[in-house]
Amino acid sequence: MSVPPEPRRRRQSRLIAFLRIAGAAAFVLAVVGVCVPGNAGRSAALLAIGVLVLAPVVRTGWLAVRWWRRGDRGFALVAASVLAVVATGALVAGV
Amino acid sequence: MVSLWEIAGLAVVASAIGAVGGLGGAVLLVPALVLAGLDPEAAAPLGLLAVAAGSLAASPTHLEQGLVHHRLGLTLEVAGGSFAVLGALVSEAVSDTALTWVLVVTALVAAVAGGFRQGLRNRPMSAFSAEPPGEWPGTLGGAYSRDGHVVPYRARRLLGGLGLVSAAGAVAGLAGVGGGFLKTPAMSEVMHVPVKVAAATSTFTVGITAVAGLAVFAGQGRIDLVPGASAVVGAMVGGAVGARLQDRLSPVATRRFLAIVLVAVAAALIVQV
Repeated sequence: MSVPPEPRRRRQSRLIAFLRIAGAAAFVLAVVGVCVPGNAGRSAALLAIGVLVLAPVVRTGWLAVRWWRRGDRGFALVAASVLAVVATGALVAGV
Repeated sequence: MVSLWEIAGLAVVASAIGAVGGLGGAVLLVPALVLAGLDPEAAAPLGLLAVAAGSLAASPTHLEQGLVHHRLGLTLEVAGGSFAVLGALVSEAVSDTALTWVLVVTALVAAVAGGFRQGLRNRPMSAFSAEPPGEWPGTLGGAYSRDGHVVPYRARRLLGGLGLVSAAGAVAGLAGVGGGFLKTPAMSEVMHVPVKVAAATSTFTVGITAVAGLAVFAGQGRIDLVPGASAVVGAMVGGAVGARLQDRLSPVATRRFLAIVLVAVAAALIVQV
């Protein structure tokens, strides 16, 4: 009888996949931003920066939701608080 | 005038060093860009873009190795981030020169504390040999893999760590730097978290800090897109290289590397005074 796989070994596989895709997208868009002149290049560069900004926000939000669902409520609130601090900082700066 | 190739090249080096030591790298990249001839007003956003890109590039490798402790990083980031916002709000009332010297002294103290420490605090335990590397749910403890052995650890002195990271956040907000170079020593030397876990966790949190800073620069219209994209390209290469390099270094070598980089950071800060 085979041993069932340890579930925690794959616990962050979706997060890793998401970060790989986001990283690849940001890299390709940034290369296009550097190599392609004009508005197309500038738009690609803007999108690359957008991916960079969104990735850690999505990651933290994903962790908050995951921990909340699994009953790790204290740390879910900590993750939500970090997002609140980031949003407050951006608002205070006038964005 | 600094070329796009120069920006990308400097970003590769700064992000690789940042990913190994959990520093982010802006504190190295920005002075380097200024020394290369870029206006400081333009260099600062490029530094944060490199931090965000390096953090994203290093994350998959660090996660696969079970080195990132999200719960610890986010717990510290609440305090550090809050005080960074407060620091930024009162920054105009404080002397830049005095702040820079505070950062210089802090970096040198952290370098001495980590660089001269001998031995390892966390030892492999056979009882944990079946434990997968990673953080333990609901706690500030976890395990990581070192030379084929599983090493359990637990963050100690949480209040001390929170206090130090809060102070680092306030100083960072006041001085306009990311503060990553203070978070890794705080976790490693004060909270007794293994230096590789501390560096990987810090690399994650500096990405969040960079987002807040980038939002500020975007609001001020200070992000130049094409040089920014060039910094992103370089930093993504450097971040991926740095994460793999860290995997090959022993904890003691990582600590010594970090100490050397902290001395370089102190030198870079002095150049800016």
